[in-house]
Amino acid sequence: MLVDNEQILEALWETVYMTGVSFAFSLLIGFPLGILLVVTRRGHLLQNEAVFKVLNVIINIFRSVPFIILMVAIIPLTRLIVGTSIGTSAAIVPLVFYAGPYIARLIENSLLEVDKGVIEAAQAMGASPGQIIFRFLIPEALSSLVLALTIAIVGLIGASAMAGAIGGGGLGDLAITYGYQRFDTLVMVLTVAILVVLVQGVQSLGNILSKRVRRS
Amino acid sequence: MIQFEGVTKTYQSGKQEIHALNGIDLTVETGEIFGVIGFSGAGKSSLIRTVNLLERPTKGSVKIHGKDISTLSSKEIRTTRKDIGMIFQHFNLLNSKTVFHNVAMPLILANTPKDKIKEQVKSLLEFVGLADQAQKYPDQLSGGQKQRIGIARALATNPSVLLCDEATSALDPQTTQSILDLLRKINREYNITILLITHEMGVIREICDKVAVLEAGKVIEQGSVFDVFTNPQQPTTQRFVRSVMNDELPPALMQQIQDAGGNHSIYRIQFHGNSVGRPLISQVSREFNLDLNVLFGNITELQGKPYGNLIVEFIGDRSEINRALAAIRQSDATVEEAENYAS
Repeated sequence: MLVDNEQILEALWETVYMTGVSFAFSLLIGFPLGILLVVTRRGHLLQNEAVFKVLNVIINIFRSVPFIILMVAIIPLTRLIVGTSIGTSAAIVPLVFYAGPYIARLIENSLLEVDKGVIEAAQAMGASPGQIIFRFLIPEALSSLVLALTIAIVGLIGASAMAGAIGGGGLGDLAITYGYQRFDTLVMVLTVAILVVLVQGVQSLGNILSKRVRRS
Repeated sequence: MIQFEGVTKTYQSGKQEIHALNGIDLTVETGEIFGVIGFSGAGKSSLIRTVNLLERPTKGSVKIHGKDISTLSSKEIRTTRKDIGMIFQHFNLLNSKTVFHNVAMPLILANTPKDKIKEQVKSLLEFVGLADQAQKYPDQLSGGQKQRIGIARALATNPSVLLCDEATSALDPQTTQSILDLLRKINREYNITILLITHEMGVIREICDKVAVLEAGKVIEQGSVFDVFTNPQQPTTQRFVRSVMNDELPPALMQQIQDAGGNHSIYRIQFHGNSVGRPLISQVSREFNLDLNVLFGNITELQGKPYGNLIVEFIGDRSEINRALAAIRQSDATVEEAENYAS
């Protein structure tokens, strides 16, 4: 094997770091956008066709660019934010641009599943739009939101593997440079196995958490 | 008091305009139970939703206690809504929250202190008979229990008006009965005005004081439940009344009447009020030397008043029959030829 344990551990840490930090930022951007996508649509709490349409189009644009191209396309912006366009931290910027709009859509989907009758009941008892969002919509959707965010994290783990293309490091990088380009099958199998365990772990955790928050 | 004045609601569906409400004029007096009945698509749910502005009328106004609500700001609307409780066909409870939390919700929204919420929710749950279910979740309860929670929640803010949107339509007959009893209790004990919409005439008969029949966005008939049930004018109303009053002549009897042609004298006698308790048939029989053959009959109660319905064959001299009919009309009963009714 061309790599030692330490390199693998470091790559694992890089993957976790990239996924974790970009998930946090993506959530920060995606959550409010997801809520806006729901409440500004026609017939909803804060109906506003202009806001809805603009958001809808912007999110679709980001969602349609393949991650590998997005990564290269926003290099100037990355340089502006992080100071460099190479490395693990630099990989976080495109990851956020990739996962933010994705999370917005996932959140939108979950919130739309909430029974319209519950919103109507909230309105009938004199709740304000803010109260309806935070005391009715989100608690009712919480279980489904957790599952949606689990999907987002798994997606981010996958996307972060591509970050190796800009020197982002991580397990994916290791698999490509050693496993693929230098024909080290063991490294390839090992990194993929670690990724499988990682994804399994995240998904199981998500399932347990989702079940737990179903009733709060 | 709720007043609908020329309330019109028009929806835009593509290029087509849909008139859900077409100039509704209705007055619901304080303290009464007012029922609106209609088939699906008649405009009932649009109508009830204009009262708390879940739907805004396209034209016309809704006044609550004399105040036109369509002119209110959104903040004033929210305050007004706290004075109008609402319960729903599908209960619309928060499945992620306990029964306690569901009932407490309107109080939480109003920033009520915690100990006061506790106290109030406890007494509300006792009132609806579910004090021991506070820590359960809605999906652990039966439909009837869920509706009781809905009712407790609707009463939490001490409203003066309660809107019931097909509140018993998802329940079995026995549960429906218990929910209706609870609504009547609310109406009597708290003097809360109740406006309910339903497609079940049984609900109207059971608890309403007044009824309006809605068809194609218009009120086609309205009045006291007793009047509308005993003397429905419009075909739609008659259909609704027949759905629960069972006053259609049995087919075999219809045949018999038709076969007999004009030779038989068959009349429908409707007893109202005091006349129900009197032995009218035997009195008439003795007094006028007639044989009376009761072909069909039933007696029910409407708003606590007994109401009887008999189909009687008069056998005897024509002039005697006419005199007998006149005598019956003198009492608290009405008589009409059964053939007219049967057609």
